Amino acid sequence: MFDLINEIGQTIRNNKLRTGLTGFAVAWGIFMLIILLGLSRGVMSGFEESSSKRDLNTINVWRGVTSMPYKGYNKGRQIKLKASNVNDLNTSHNKYISKATAYNYIDSAKVSGPKDYVSGGITGMPPESARDQWIDVFAGRFINQADMDNQRKVIVLSRKTAKTIFGSDSTDVIGKHVKSLGLAWTVIGLYTREWNEDESFVPFTTAVALSGGDPAIWSIKVFTDNVTDEASGLAAEDAIRGELAKIHQFDPNDHSAAPMNNRFLNYLQSKEGMKILDYVVWVIGILTMVSGIIGVSNIMFVSVRERTHEIGIRRAIGAKRRNILTQIILESVAITTIFGYLGVVMGTIVMQILDMLFGSGSQGRSPFGTLSVDLNIALKVTVVLIIAGALAGLFPALKATKVKPVEALRDE
Amino acid sequence: MIIQLKDINKTYPGVVPLHVLKDINLEIDRGELVAIMGASGSGKSTLLNILGILDNYDSGEYHLDGVLIKNLSENRAAELRNRLIGFVFQSFNLISYKNAVENVALPLFYQGVSRRKRNALAMEQLERMGLADRAHHLPGELSGGQKQRVAIARALITKPSIILADEPTGALDSTTSHDVMNLFRELNAEGMTIIIVTHDPGVGAATNRIIRISDGRIVPDEPIITDIKPQIIV
Repeated sequence: MFDLINEIGQTIRNNKLRTGLTGFAVAWGIFMLIILLGLSRGVMSGFEESSSKRDLNTINVWRGVTSMPYKGYNKGRQIKLKASNVNDLNTSHNKYISKATAYNYIDSAKVSGPKDYVSGGITGMPPESARDQWIDVFAGRFINQADMDNQRKVIVLSRKTAKTIFGSDSTDVIGKHVKSLGLAWTVIGLYTREWNEDESFVPFTTAVALSGGDPAIWSIKVFTDNVTDEASGLAAEDAIRGELAKIHQFDPNDHSAAPMNNRFLNYLQSKEGMKILDYVVWVIGILTMVSGIIGVSNIMFVSVRERTHEIGIRRAIGAKRRNILTQIILESVAITTIFGYLGVVMGTIVMQILDMLFGSGSQGRSPFGTLSVDLNIALKVTVVLIIAGALAGLFPALKATKVKPVEALRDE
Repeated sequence: MIIQLKDINKTYPGVVPLHVLKDINLEIDRGELVAIMGASGSGKSTLLNILGILDNYDSGEYHLDGVLIKNLSENRAAELRNRLIGFVFQSFNLISYKNAVENVALPLFYQGVSRRKRNALAMEQLERMGLADRAHHLPGELSGGQKQRVAIARALITKPSIILADEPTGALDSTTSHDVMNLFRELNAEGMTIIIVTHDPGVGAATNRIIRISDGRIVPDEPIITDIKPQIIV
């Protein structure tokens, strides 16, 4: 084995420029493959990270318009969701429905403190929404279930609002009172958010009670149970639509009466999309590499041609076809693997730099999660390299074995 | 008898088939120093190729050292070449990027002999050729005579049954040619069977027997000159 490596080393050293140029093509191919794979994995991990921050087991339902006549009603009827529907869904005891929640916006409301007032409106919110609306409570607490049950007059302000109406955004604002809709509200928490810090949040039940009667709401968010795949995801949609159809008297198969956004199914779809992205990247990468490999194959052909005489000598003094075949193939494998690895190393270094600049650890929002080359890719690439090298060498090697010693020696 | 050719025929196929060897019958004993001579196109190179198991023949029988050489597989042929025959070529046929030791040791590489052992054996052969100090030179750094001696060392390293030399002095000046021929005679004196293909009468005269070949046939009336002291010009 050592001898074979030595033989290969000698021939490679003997053709430095040629080997170098070919090797560059291979290294470049692998480099591109690594970068492409790394970036697509980055996008994927970014996607996974952002989906993990949100609840996947939710279905949003909006107001819709019927598209089918039902029990004497014409189609084209508006279905208005009511605050009471939230409770209806919560008491439906359907196995797919864990909990229903909704918001109730009171747009016109002003919130005033000792210094100033804001008019961003107040929003009735369920406790679950803190996470869902990217609300980051940095002082005090968010609305809880007890607030909901007792319709407490408590309010969560943004840092910006607190600063405006109290002149301070420190924790001593907690427990103070603000005025809104003619009532006094106790401040229980302060939040920050990456966008829109104008809203103030109160318990959903309190907001409903203040609106009087059964106010219309824009949408209901249903937390689902037992949703594990596409089928159960669709079944959960049917269950919600069924419940609403009973209340609002529309055809349970009428999708447009209660349009939905199923986050779990979206997730499955995006995941499918990510998989396709992964395949596409592999295909592009491998095609890039193929041009490198063809280069190697080409060079090996040239090399075999140039060395016809040498191969003839070797055959005359006792080299078997197998010896020649393995030597040429291993030479090709050596070139592809060595330069391929150079490509892997370069790719890894560049990915590290990209991660520093654009990865999730970097400043600002980025479509990428962690940008890195995982061991798995490196292993796959190694296998691909060895196979590719062997293939690149195979045909030239077969040609080399056809060299007849007599003809080769006559060359001179 | 180390070589026995019986009714060997060889035709190169083509639009006009070329019958290059016609009923060749030839016997060479162990320890002979033989020259095969003939004009170009006479078939002597083809005969050499058949003797060297580099080419096939169409009919007849060829025994080399008791082995029938007929319809061999490529691998078997390579093995027998490696074991039984040492080749010396006109153009030396050394591998240019290997130094003298590596070139000499190459046949043993294909026998699977360990690196250390084959390099030791190669050094031994080079010492015998008086080239120990050139062992690590590349062929390009050696003179023609030195190259041919390296080639002879390579031919000897497997301890073959015969040495086949194809115009071994063709690329050498006359002084070096004589040196090489003397070397062959010395080896022959040690018992090695040597067959030299040549068209140089001087080389032929330095052997013990001349086989003349003309138009694909062995010229029959050539006297065997074993009783005449061959002339060596030193």
